[in-house]
Amino acid sequence: MSTLGRILMVEDDPKDVELTLTALEEYNLANEVVVTRDGEEALDYLYCRGNFSTRPNDNPAVILLDLKLQKVHGLEVLEQVKSDEKLRMIPVVVLTSSREEIDMVASYKLGVNAYVVKPVDFHEFVNAIKELGVFWAVINEPPPGSAKKN
Amino acid sequence: MRRRQAIAEGKHLPKSLPAIQQYGLAVLSVALALVLSLLLNRYGFQGLADLLFVLAIAITSWYADPGPALLALVSSFLIDDYFFIQPIYSFSMTSEDIPHFLVFALFASLVTRFAAVRRRVERDLLQSGDELEKEVAERTQQASLLNLTHDSIFVRDMDFAITYWNRGAQELYGWTPEEATGKRSNELLHTIFPAPLDEIHVELLRAGRWEGELTHTKADGNVVVVSSRWSLRRDDQQRPIAILETNNDITERKRREQDISTLNEELGKRTAELEASNKELEAFAYSISHDLRAPLRHMSGFTQLLRKNAGSVLNEKSQRYVTMIMESAQRMGSLIDDLLAFSRIGRAETRHTSVSLEQLAQEAVTEIRQDTGGRDIVWRVGALPAVYGDRSMLRLAFVNLIANAVKFTRTRAQAEIEIGCTGDQSPNQVVVFVRDNGVGFNMKYVNKLFGVFQRLHPAEAFEGTGIGLATVQRIVHRHGGRVWAEGLVDQGATFFFSLSSSHRKESKV
Repeated sequence: MSTLGRILMVEDDPKDVELTLTALEEYNLANEVVVTRDGEEALDYLYCRGNFSTRPNDNPAVILLDLKLQKVHGLEVLEQVKSDEKLRMIPVVVLTSSREEIDMVASYKLGVNAYVVKPVDFHEFVNAIKELGVFWAVINEPPPGSAKKN
Repeated sequence: MRRRQAIAEGKHLPKSLPAIQQYGLAVLSVALALVLSLLLNRYGFQGLADLLFVLAIAITSWYADPGPALLALVSSFLIDDYFFIQPIYSFSMTSEDIPHFLVFALFASLVTRFAAVRRRVERDLLQSGDELEKEVAERTQQASLLNLTHDSIFVRDMDFAITYWNRGAQELYGWTPEEATGKRSNELLHTIFPAPLDEIHVELLRAGRWEGELTHTKADGNVVVVSSRWSLRRDDQQRPIAILETNNDITERKRREQDISTLNEELGKRTAELEASNKELEAFAYSISHDLRAPLRHMSGFTQLLRKNAGSVLNEKSQRYVTMIMESAQRMGSLIDDLLAFSRIGRAETRHTSVSLEQLAQEAVTEIRQDTGGRDIVWRVGALPAVYGDRSMLRLAFVNLIANAVKFTRTRAQAEIEIGCTGDQSPNQVVVFVRDNGVGFNMKYVNKLFGVFQRLHPAEAFEGTGIGLATVQRIVHRHGGRVWAEGLVDQGATFFFSLSSSHRKESKV
C-alpha cells in the first residue's frame, strides 16, 4: 500500500459523512478524503474554483457520489463530470440509499463506474466502504493526473 | 319501357300501306275512274272524266306515298288523253286542248301536294305524340323509383317551394306528398342550417352541390338531425331552377357519437387521475427509498459504534438494549425493503408473453431447494398449462408460495409439498394450487392472510415480514385472477390462484 489515491466524497448528510469516515479510518484509508456537502461544492472542487481555487490542480482518484444532494443533484454532477474532457476519466462510484431502478439506470446511462446501495446494517456498511476504499484508492490504478499520496 | 315503345310504334303502322298495295291503290282508283267515266260517257254524261280522275289522284295521294300518287297522275293524264280528248283513241292532241290539260295538271298537282303536306303533318304529330308518351312513362318510372329508396328525397325550386316529395320523405317527416308540395321546405321543417344560408348558396352555385348536417322538425314535433346532400339543377341557359335534397336521419348516430365522446372524456379524466396518483405513488416510494433508510442506517451504525467504544462499561442489561435497538433498525430496514419491492410490483409495467407455468414452478422449486439444507421434503409438481402473462412476476408468485410452504413445514419430520392444477377448472380459467402438510392456519383468519404485513404466527416461530402472500395476491390481480386459501390448524394449507381465460386465449394467438 505504497500509494493512496485521494477520495472525493460528495455527501450532504453529516451523519453519513461521519459513518463513512469512521469506516475508512478503521482501515487507514481516511487521511486523503475530501468531503464536499453538495453538488455545487463538488463541482467547485473539481474545477478548482470558489473555496478550492488555491488547491493543486489534480484530479481525485475516485469520487464517492451521493445522489440526493442540495442545489445540484448527484446525477447532474455525474453528467457534468462524464461530459468534461478533463474530468471524464475520474472513476465515479454512486453511493446512495436508493435501490430505485430509475436512479440506477440513469447513473449507468451517464457512465457511472459503480453503483453501491448503502446497506442498513453497519457491518455490511463498513465492509462496503472498506472494499470501495481499498479497491478504488489502492488497488485500482487511477488515470494519469490523479492526486496520490506516497 | 321497351314494350311501351313497341306499342307506340305499332300504332301508326297500318297508316303506311306496303308499297305494292299503294301502287295497287293508284292503279285501282285510276281504273275505277276510267270505268266510271266510260259508263257515264255511254249514258251521255260527258265532261265528268276529268273530275273523276282528279278524285282518283286525290284518293291515291291521300293514302299513298308520292310515288303511287305520281303514277296515278301520269296514268290519269294519259288515259284521259287517250279516251276522252279528241281525237279519241289516240295520244295526239291539238293546241286547243293545252289549257284544259294545264288546268287538269295544276289541279291534280295541288291535290297531290295538299295530300302530301297533310300526311307529313300527321306523321309529325304522331311522332311527337309518341315521344311525349315515352317521356311521361319514363318520368313516372323515375318517380316511382325515387319512392323505392329509403332516403328521404324532395325537390324544391330556388324559393324553397317543394315540387316533389318522395315516400321516404313522407316516412321520415310525416307529411304526405300532397301536404308537402307547394310549401316552403325551410318553413315546413323549421330547418336549422349549420352555416349562414348565403354561404351555403354560394357553395351550392359554385360547386353545384352542398353537403352538411341539418336539424329538422317532423310533423309530430320531434327533432331529427339529418345528413343532407343538395344537388343543383340548371335549365338550358344554365340558370339554376331546382334543388334536389336527399336527407338521411342520423339522430341516433349523433346521439351515440355524443355518448362515446362523453365516455371517452370520462375515461381520459380517469386515466389522468390514475396516472397522477401513480406518479405520486412513485414519488412516495422514491422518497421512502432515499429518506427513510438513511436515519435507520445512522441508528444502526452509531449503535454499533457505541457498543464498540463503550462496550466495556455497559452492563448486561444495557448491552441487551443496544442489541434490541440494532435488531429493530435491522427489522425496519427489511420492512422498508419489502414494502418497496411490493410497491414496485404494483408500479412495474407487465410484459406479457406465453409462459409455461410448469417450467416456472420447477425453476422456483430448484431455487428454493438450495436453501432447504438437509431437510426431508417430498416434492410433487403436476402438469401445468401455459398461460399468457409476465414471466418474472409469475415466477415471483411461485417462489413466494413455495418458500411459504417450505417455511411452515419446518416442524415436520417429512414435509410434503405439492404443486398442481385443480381438475374441475372451467375452460375459461386455470386454477393452480400449492399444498403443504405444515402447521396450517385457522380458517377464521383466512381474510388476513393476504394483507400487507399480516402474520398469523409469532416472529419467533416463523421469521418474515408478512409481505409474501400480499405480493402473490398483487401479482395475480395484475393478471386478472384471484387468490384464496384453505387450511386447518396443524393439518397443512393449500393456496390457490386462478388466471383468467382471456390470458389463456391470447396465448394461442
